[in-house]
Amino acid sequence: MWLVMTKEIKELLRDRKTLFFMIALPLLMFPVIFGAVGFFASKAVKEAESKPLTFAVVHAERARGLVAALEEQPLLERLDIPSDVDIRNWVKADNADFVIEIPENYSNDVMQSGQISIKLYFNDAGLNMVERRLNEVLDTIASKNQRAAFAALNVTEQQQQGLLDPIVLEKVNVADQRENWGEKIGGMVPYLVFILCLQGAMIPATDLGAGEKERGTLETLLISPIERHHIVLGKFFAIALAGIMSALVTVGSIAIWGTVLSQGMAIKIVADFMAAISIIDFVLVFLMLIPVVAIFASALLSLSIYARSFKEAQGYMTPLVFVVLVPVILSMLPGVELKGGWAWVPLTNVALAMKELIKGTMDYFQLFAIFGSTAVIAGGLIYFCVFWFNREKVLFR
Amino acid sequence: MIEVKQLAKKFTVENPKKLSEQEKTDPRLKGRFFHSVKDVSFDCAQGQVLGLLGPNGAGKTTTLRMLSTALKPDSGSITISGVDVLEKPIVARQKIGFLSGSTGLYGRLTGRENIAYFGRLHGMDDESIESRIGQLADILELHDFLDRRSENFSTGMKQKTNIARAVVHSPEVVILDEPTTGLDIMAAQTVLNFIMSLKAQGTPVIFSTHHLDEVAELCDRVAVIDQGITRFNDTIDAFTALSDQSLSASFLATIQREL
Repeated sequence: MWLVMTKEIKELLRDRKTLFFMIALPLLMFPVIFGAVGFFASKAVKEAESKPLTFAVVHAERARGLVAALEEQPLLERLDIPSDVDIRNWVKADNADFVIEIPENYSNDVMQSGQISIKLYFNDAGLNMVERRLNEVLDTIASKNQRAAFAALNVTEQQQQGLLDPIVLEKVNVADQRENWGEKIGGMVPYLVFILCLQGAMIPATDLGAGEKERGTLETLLISPIERHHIVLGKFFAIALAGIMSALVTVGSIAIWGTVLSQGMAIKIVADFMAAISIIDFVLVFLMLIPVVAIFASALLSLSIYARSFKEAQGYMTPLVFVVLVPVILSMLPGVELKGGWAWVPLTNVALAMKELIKGTMDYFQLFAIFGSTAVIAGGLIYFCVFWFNREKVLFR
Repeated sequence: MIEVKQLAKKFTVENPKKLSEQEKTDPRLKGRFFHSVKDVSFDCAQGQVLGLLGPNGAGKTTTLRMLSTALKPDSGSITISGVDVLEKPIVARQKIGFLSGSTGLYGRLTGRENIAYFGRLHGMDDESIESRIGQLADILELHDFLDRRSENFSTGMKQKTNIARAVVHSPEVVILDEPTTGLDIMAAQTVLNFIMSLKAQGTPVIFSTHHLDEVAELCDRVAVIDQGITRFNDTIDAFTALSDQSLSASFLATIQREL
């Protein structure tokens, strides 16, 4: 068994494609996610904020002050709109970025006009700052009108606040920052880690099963004087090791890039979050992945040995990615917690446990259920794999 | 000594619609089963070379796979150096050196590493493996490429390395499925010389081939299989005597066909 395993590992370490998916991809994935996505998102927001916008006003004569204030804005340019046009279609045809329609009751005297409703026509599909930039102008006029009305009514400042917000909800969050962030991003971590582990194990599994058939080396291996289950276990451990290596690099990558981003770039939220998670938590997250990788390795090896070729194996394995996503998505559903029956659902329990570990609210007693149920499934799949390897129909399809 | 008696092996046809017209009319197809080997018997004593002949699809590869323990026969018996292959397949594997027709190599390993891996699987220690690789490299002319990764080997280099891999453990019997197919004249001659050297050492060799000149050069015995049944099993002299024209005519006579 060890002979088979060491030979498989030697071959895997000489394969650039495997090394890329096992080490480079997990290592690069997180800086790409944390860094590149953040960079492009902030760039897009900046561009939207500084983009000059064109606008038109229907019944501008009813709100000359407002129109003048809009015209004074450096990045707003007013256009004329034809009187008989359908406003919706005119905006849709990109004649202007937005159109506002002033109602008949528009007035600066709030006591006389009551609430004024200005209609805004714009395309809200993309990232744009129309509403925000328009509100900046409207809010200034609205609060000026508000103050004038309160002054006319002789309302004190305290009364003004009472009138504007009669009841205010003052939030006292008992969750610490770690729990807060853990709840928000804790669900995403298993999603990424599971997929990367599966990806890390997929290439070696294809090579060690279908690859042997395609190269014509399987038959030679089968007639070697060793038991079939030793061959299976040797291959299984090599695939599992590749998956674990992927997991180790992934978790290490989160820890390293988290630290780099928080300290190197002085991002306080990430720094606080990283400081709250101990090394033991990272080790537990990693340990949690071992039975998961065992499930992946045995399932992938069974599929791979059934396939006649690399291509066929990849065809069988691709749907497995979606199968793996189901338990992870389940763990993100509201009300699904690491308690009772859910603690025994393989993969879902690991995803939930990872979230709890990140939040710092892990009930360590549940580890028995997690490791127990996952080990049973992994053991069953390995047994099936050995059975599969003894079937002539599978080996000589 | 290799003794094969009344071997039979059938396969389930997964998708009968995908069979070729020739396969559909093959009398071995019965319902969902294809009786690839129906009744095959032959033997090969110490120091003999047996040529296994037959048209394409006759059942030669299935027979050799059963001999190598890769496939399990439905009935019949195989005895190799006194060991019942069906009862003790692991013991039998130690005694067999097998080269299948479609054998490949592990491309990311060197020729030496490929051979050594199978030596270790047969329980050899590193010292014995190195010494044996040295011997085989001399006989099969492997020195020039032994330490290169096998992914870029030519067909000849691959086949020679494969033969070395098959016999690294000094097996008591050697089974070769079309060992010279696709080789150039020089590489093929090296392989044939190697078979001669095995014969000289007293190792029984069974090899399947379509080249009758190789049969004439090497074989002491000939077995002809057609449609899963042994049609001929006797000495090379008896085979030659079947026709006064040529070995091809003898072969066609055994399967009752004409050119």
